[in-house]
Amino acid sequence: MRHSGRVAIEVRGLTKTFVTGRRRARRTIEAVRDISFSVEPGERVAYIGPNGAGKSTSIKVLTGILHATSGEVQVLGLVPWRDRRRLTRRIGTLFGQRSQLWFELTPLQSFRLLAAIHRIERAEAQARVAELAELLDAGDLFDQPIRSLSLGQRMRCELAACMLHRPEILFLDEPTIGLDLLAKQLFRDLLVRLNHERGTTIFLTSHDVADVEHVARRVVIVNHGSIIYDDAVATLRRTLLATKLIEVGLSSAVDIPALDGVTVLEHTATAARLAVDTARRSVRDVLDVLLDTWPVADISVVDPPLEDVIAEIYGAPR
Amino acid sequence: MPPWVGVAVRTGARRVLAEPSALLMQVFFYLLVTGAVTSLWRVAVEANGGTVAGYDARALTWYLALSEGAYLAVHSRIIEEIGDDVAGGTVASEMLRPAPVVGVRLATELGKALPRLAVNCGAGVLLCLLTVGAPPSTAGLLLAVPAMLLAGACNLAAMHGVAALTFWLRDARTSWFLYQKLIFIFGGMLLPLQVLPPWLHDVAVRLPFMTMTYVPARLASGHVEPELLLVQLGWLAVLAAFATSAFAGGERRLQAVGG
Amino acid sequence: MASAACKRWVVDVRAIAATSRGAFAESVANPKAFWAQVAAMMINDLGWMAFWVLFFDEVGEVRGWDGERALLLLAVFATSAGLVLGLFTNARHIGRMAADGELDAALALPVPPLTYLLVRRISPVNLGDVLFGIVLFAVSGRPDAGRVGIFVVGVAASAGLLLGFLVVTGSLGFFVGHGETGDLGFNAILLLANYPADFFGGPTKLVLYTVIPAAFVTAVPATLIDEFDWAQAALLLAASATFLVAAWATFTLGLRRYSSGSVWTQA
Repeated sequence: MRHSGRVAIEVRGLTKTFVTGRRRARRTIEAVRDISFSVEPGERVAYIGPNGAGKSTSIKVLTGILHATSGEVQVLGLVPWRDRRRLTRRIGTLFGQRSQLWFELTPLQSFRLLAAIHRIERAEAQARVAELAELLDAGDLFDQPIRSLSLGQRMRCELAACMLHRPEILFLDEPTIGLDLLAKQLFRDLLVRLNHERGTTIFLTSHDVADVEHVARRVVIVNHGSIIYDDAVATLRRTLLATKLIEVGLSSAVDIPALDGVTVLEHTATAARLAVDTARRSVRDVLDVLLDTWPVADISVVDPPLEDVIAEIYGAPR
Repeated sequence: MPPWVGVAVRTGARRVLAEPSALLMQVFFYLLVTGAVTSLWRVAVEANGGTVAGYDARALTWYLALSEGAYLAVHSRIIEEIGDDVAGGTVASEMLRPAPVVGVRLATELGKALPRLAVNCGAGVLLCLLTVGAPPSTAGLLLAVPAMLLAGACNLAAMHGVAALTFWLRDARTSWFLYQKLIFIFGGMLLPLQVLPPWLHDVAVRLPFMTMTYVPARLASGHVEPELLLVQLGWLAVLAAFATSAFAGGERRLQAVGG
Repeated sequence: MASAACKRWVVDVRAIAATSRGAFAESVANPKAFWAQVAAMMINDLGWMAFWVLFFDEVGEVRGWDGERALLLLAVFATSAGLVLGLFTNARHIGRMAADGELDAALALPVPPLTYLLVRRISPVNLGDVLFGIVLFAVSGRPDAGRVGIFVVGVAASAGLLLGFLVVTGSLGFFVGHGETGDLGFNAILLLANYPADFFGGPTKLVLYTVIPAAFVTAVPATLIDEFDWAQAALLLAASATFLVAAWATFTLGLRRYSSGSVWTQA
């Protein structure tokens, strides 16, 4: 692995604006506003935010797809949009909704094509494919046409495709979108494994908080185009991910007693919404109390929406 | 007439009117095509001493303006779209509704064609007035208006019938190309039927394609032959029946074979 | 310096060749539809052939054009358009792809983006046109060594011009913010190329030789086969080269304004 010892990603004052609309309705949208951060080689960073926060725009600037409007960006010492072709030899990209694989062909055929594009010799490419098959537990998938694979299986093949040329950094944009729970967990484990065994820097955008919890060691939160939080995941977990929401459907109206560690967010005759501070009280406890004493028709436990988490971070109004 | 017909027609029309830029684009192409084709023929007529197959430059221009207008107003990708809908299962879900599938589709497509027909008519009339002057016969032009409507209806009915073939063939493209070319030649769209050699002309007047472009064009070019409208009505009945039974057959096949 | 550039060019060629092989493999992956579609295109072309035969039968020679030359025009058109739309299928879709953010996959690879995109997809349907055009020329074009030579070079120049034009109009989409310019250009030139440019009046004719160079796509090469003229031939080649260069320039400049589907740019 070529680590020159310098910073893997360096962003200073990045701004990206789009001009949209026609003629009189022309508007300028600031998708990304004065963003600065840096990433060391070998890190696992989650770059999260709600829809429209500027995550995809940022990652597309970092990978050279978009030109920055202003600011400085260096990835592996190169300016992404200027040295795009040199950079793409050293990074891998996996965008959740854009496939790198050829739909009618088998992954293996796609790998051969990518190997030719990345100047990897035949024998070497075969060896790498075998390695990746083992690493990603996907050997039996490579021979089937992409169209016949499930989304989860396809994503594993996509991952193999973008690792074929042994990139130093892997950029992923919403990679787990559309995957079922099991497939998501599997995918996240694979990312962590890649990072451990190959030292590949992982830079991942998502609006799924669980991606943060299971993959990243560091999290950067963006909202409205600016960074509002940049710290270790451990810290975030301690302060914010401790809340769980319980949504209850009631079969008859009931008064709600005060419960320690529980805040009532909403209460009507037919439903209630509670926030549980899991640092003070376990969800299990609260459920026990509710099911014993309330006329519960329906109950579900959910993560608080990311918007709420973000709003909480700075006590900002939503 | 069952109530869903009016609703479907109005829905179709509204959908087209909601996208004025698409409508404008369609008119732009209509003018481009008609301009090109009328130019072609006018030069040819000049070189031929002023008439070709009984049409002078003025008559030919009016002819082509209406034949193109009638053709382009009927959205030409319908067959492909219906093919896609069959393959994608949309038709299967339509069969769950209480109104007949073919009837609703036909009525909606006719509704969509109405604004286009009107706009093409207007643009065509303007183009002709500016290039060759008044129509050879005002009566002919007035008769051409209902003829345009009937032309659209016949075209749509036939298209749906042909499109129903995709229940069996799974590929709409070939049928669409063939269909389009049959209208080109036997529908008298790019050349008046009188240009065809006599034996081909006799075949053409017995085929339904002439109702879709030839009739309104012929009327507008100054040949007041009101019996042509009856021919259109007759064919409309036949084509509608064809479309209905083809779709019914297709529906049966869908239920047997699966979407 | 020069050898590095040379080496890079060789690598590019290999990458592009691999991409072409992939595109071909993809296109034959679905054989059932292939022959049906080829048949469809040939029917389409036969229709135009019927039109020209009937037209000139009725009308005789006009402005130097007769049935035979019209069939030459059709042969050139079918072959040239078939080559461009068949082998460089994405050419007409560049505008839409830019608007929908579909260029990302190409930009993620160390390849020259325009070339990669152009060879990335092959459309078997249009290869039926190529076959038709060649057969039509063989049958009705009175082929001899000279005429065949002019046909081949003429088609190549025509195809280059058409390709360049499609990329230019598609790339304008980067600047106006929506993908419809490509469709407009595509439809306009294919429509106008059907007709011999000599049939049109002054201002229209000027357009057909410049902004929408339909005359150079069909009428000029067809005329050259019958009546070769060095000046016209040179003009044709110049037009072709101009549009190819313009294509590369417009696309490269437009790419700077690429928004990757991040923003809904339609009204």
